[in-house]
Amino acid sequence: MALDRQLEILAVCGVGMGSSLMLKMTAEDALRALGIEARVENTDVSTARGMTPDVVIGQGMHTSEIADLAPVVITISDFLDKEGLEVQLRERLTEQGWLS
Amino acid sequence: MTIAVATDGVAAADWREAVVSAASALVDAGAAGEGYPEACVRVVEENGPYIVLTKGLALVHARPEEGGLAVGVGVTRLAAPVEFGHPDNDPVDLLLAFCTPDPDVHVGTLAALARALSGGLADRLRAAAGRDDLARELKEALPDD
Repeated sequence: MALDRQLEILAVCGVGMGSSLMLKMTAEDALRALGIEARVENTDVSTARGMTPDVVIGQGMHTSEIADLAPVVITISDFLDKEGLEVQLRERLTEQGWLS
Repeated sequence: MTIAVATDGVAAADWREAVVSAASALVDAGAAGEGYPEACVRVVEENGPYIVLTKGLALVHARPEEGGLAVGVGVTRLAAPVEFGHPDNDPVDLLLAFCTPDPDVHVGTLAALARALSGGLADRLRAAAGRDDLARELKEALPDD
């Protein structure tokens, strides 16, 4: 079912201010390329536990700790790989019916 | 105003030495307090090697309250790469160290760095002729505030 609101996306890392901010920027670029309107925030893993985003993006060492936090949890290894993230976002958002 | 520093040909036996060395350049430049390098090591001990953002490059940082005195960025090029134990991005030969006094004032600096990294900054740093060249490439990537 298509979302009738803006997607909420959370970029996570250990400290929640440096690496996740870079990841947020990569995600914003990838979303722009896909033509998706979304709000992207960045935070640390502990703070993330209290949030309810639609999509979580992070490295495996963090996403494994919060695998149930969101309907879509995307694991990446390269925080700067916009094309790789774009491919994963397209596939996973299409699965959810959020992108057609 | 962002303080920018560069160190080249740094010998490090392991990731800890590499992190301490990269962060100490910020201490020497007056951008971070004495305890900052050890705080950066603890970030990796407590959270894993996720600071290795991309192939061969680590973003060395800790929280502002661990000793950030000014917004500072340092590039450190190692004489020989070290392993962080990252599943995909090891070994690491370049470290970008970062500090800020306030969690909000650094956003422009990190955003500019992220943009520069997407635009091939890491390759330009690896190809730099020496310390001055490293510093010049880094400064070009930072906002001129």
